[in-house]
Amino acid sequence: MSINVRLEINNITKKFKQKTAVSSFSMVIDSNECVGLIGPNGAGKSTLIQIIADILYADAGDIVLDGQKISKMKNHIGYLPQYPNFFSWMTASETLAFMGTLSGISKNQLQKDIPILLEKVGLGKEAYAHVGTFSGGMKQRLGIAQALLHRPAFIIMDEPVSALDPIGRREVLNLLKDIKKETTILLSTHILADAEEVCERFVVIKNGYKIEDATKLELLNRYQDSAIFLAVQKKDVKWLTTIEHLPYVKRIENCGEGFKVYVNHLEKDAHRLLQYGLDSNVLFTKFDLGLQESLEEIFLELVV
Amino acid sequence: MNTFIALSKKEMNQMTKEYKVVWLPIVYILLGLTQPIMMYFLPAILQSMGGIEGIIIDPTMAKPGGEEVLASTLNSQFDQLGIIILAIATMGIIQGEKANGMMAFILTRPVSITSYLNSKLLTHYILAVLCISLGYAMSLGYTSYLFTSVPIMRALIALAFYCIWLLFIITFVAMMSTFFNSTPFIALISIGVLFICRFCAGLHPFLDVINPASNSLYATTIIMTGDIEKWYSFNIIVTLLLVLFMMAIMHHFIAKKKF
Repeated sequence: MSINVRLEINNITKKFKQKTAVSSFSMVIDSNECVGLIGPNGAGKSTLIQIIADILYADAGDIVLDGQKISKMKNHIGYLPQYPNFFSWMTASETLAFMGTLSGISKNQLQKDIPILLEKVGLGKEAYAHVGTFSGGMKQRLGIAQALLHRPAFIIMDEPVSALDPIGRREVLNLLKDIKKETTILLSTHILADAEEVCERFVVIKNGYKIEDATKLELLNRYQDSAIFLAVQKKDVKWLTTIEHLPYVKRIENCGEGFKVYVNHLEKDAHRLLQYGLDSNVLFTKFDLGLQESLEEIFLELVV
Repeated sequence: MNTFIALSKKEMNQMTKEYKVVWLPIVYILLGLTQPIMMYFLPAILQSMGGIEGIIIDPTMAKPGGEEVLASTLNSQFDQLGIIILAIATMGIIQGEKANGMMAFILTRPVSITSYLNSKLLTHYILAVLCISLGYAMSLGYTSYLFTSVPIMRALIALAFYCIWLLFIITFVAMMSTFFNSTPFIALISIGVLFICRFCAGLHPFLDVINPASNSLYATTIIMTGDIEKWYSFNIIVTLLLVLFMMAIMHHFIAKKKF
C-alpha cells in the first residue's frame, strides 16, 4: 500500500467496571517496524489490541493512523484475533472470498489472490475443506491469510503463536518473518522467545501500564551485567578464593558449572584478571566477557 | 452496498446450510393445514373421543364459512404456535455472532453496522414472509376445498397486513438478540412481549393504533368482512416507525460496543 503508516497511540485508558485494563498507554509505531507487545496474562495486551482494531472503545485517548482516526482506516488494517473464529460451514477459500468482499476487493482480484495466499500460509491443499474440520493451527493460518488478503499496510495480531504446537509455531513465525518485509506489524505475546524471533522492538506492558519500550539491543545493553563468566579446572578452584580479595573484584557468584566474577570496568578488569590467572598458572576452561541475560530473564525481571 | 449484498448472501447460505430454509416452511405449511382440517373433522373428532354423553351435537350446526376458517388460521395458529416457532428460529440472529466473536470480527472490516443489521433483518424477514405465505396458501387451498372459498383479493390484502406485523416480530426478536446473551431468555422475553401485544389487540381503540399486533387483527377482520378502515394506514405508519426506532436502538447498541 502506498500510505506511509505511522500509528500513534495517545493516552489510551480503558476500564472494565472496577478494573483498569489499560492506563494512559502511549506509543508510536513507524512504517515497517515490527513491534512485540509483551506482558504476562491479564496485563491488558488483548484489550489494547482490541482497542487498536476498533473492537473496543477506549474510555480516554485516541489512536491515529496516518493522521486519521483508526475507525476510518479499516481498509489499511489487518487484524488477527486471539482465537480466530470462522463460519464452520464455509470452506477456506469461501471464507477468504467473504472477508475479501467485505473489504471491497473485486471478484476477479479475489480469484487470483486467494489460491496464492492459501499456498503461502500452507493451506493450499485445504482450500476446499470446511473450516469446521480445521485444527487450531490451520485456523490460525487461515486467520493470518484473511489479515493479509486486502494487503493492509498495518497488521495487528493478538497472540498469533501462543496456541500452537512447536511445529505450527515455527511455520507461523517463518510466515511472519516473510510478511514483515513489506508490512508494519504489531503482535502481542506472552512468550518472549517468539517475539524475539520476528520483532526488533519490544513494548512491555504490566497491569495496563507501559513499563518498557526498547529495541532488543537496547534492552540487552541496559540489562547487561559487568561480569565475567569463567570456569577453571578443578585443581585450580582454590585460586578463586584468592581473586576474591583483589581490589577490582566486587564479588564472585557460583553459577552453574562456572563462576560469575563481578567487576567495575569490564574490559580493563578482564584483562587484569586474565593476566593474574596466567601468572598464577591457572588453566581457564571458559572465559566469557559481558554476561548477557537472556531476554527471557530481563522480561521476568521487568514484570515480576 | 457491496458489503450488504455479500452479507445477505452469507446469511442465505447459512440458512441453507442450517436447513432453516427446509424446516421452517414445512412447519408453517403444517400449521396452515392444521386449522381447516381440524375444523372440518371437529364434529367427528368429538364424537369418536367419546365422553360426550349428555352433550348433543347439533347435526344441523352450520359449517363455518371459509372466511372464518382462514381468519382463525392467522389468529389461532400463526399468532400462537407460529410466533413461538418464529421467535425460536430467529433468537440467534445476532446473539450467535455476538457470542462467537464473528460480529466484532466482521466489523473490523470496512462494513457499516447498518448494512450488517439490514442484511440480517432483510434475509430473515424474507424467509419468514415466504414461510407464512406458503402456510397461508395451503390454508387457503384447503379452506376452499373443505369449506367455502375466500375472495382472493381479500386474502392477499390480509396477508399484506399480516406481513407488517411479521416485520415487527422479526425486528423485535432481533433487538432482544442484540441486547441479551442467553438464547432461552431471548426467546422467552420475545414470546412474552409479542403475546402480550397480541392479546392487547382489540381491547381499546387507542391502544390499537400504537399496537403493532393490531395489524394481525385487521388482517382477520379484512378476511371476514372485506372492509378496510381508514385508520389502518395510521397503524401501519406507527408500526413502521416502531421498527425504524428499534433498528436505531440496535445500531446504537452495537456502535457503542456494549455487547
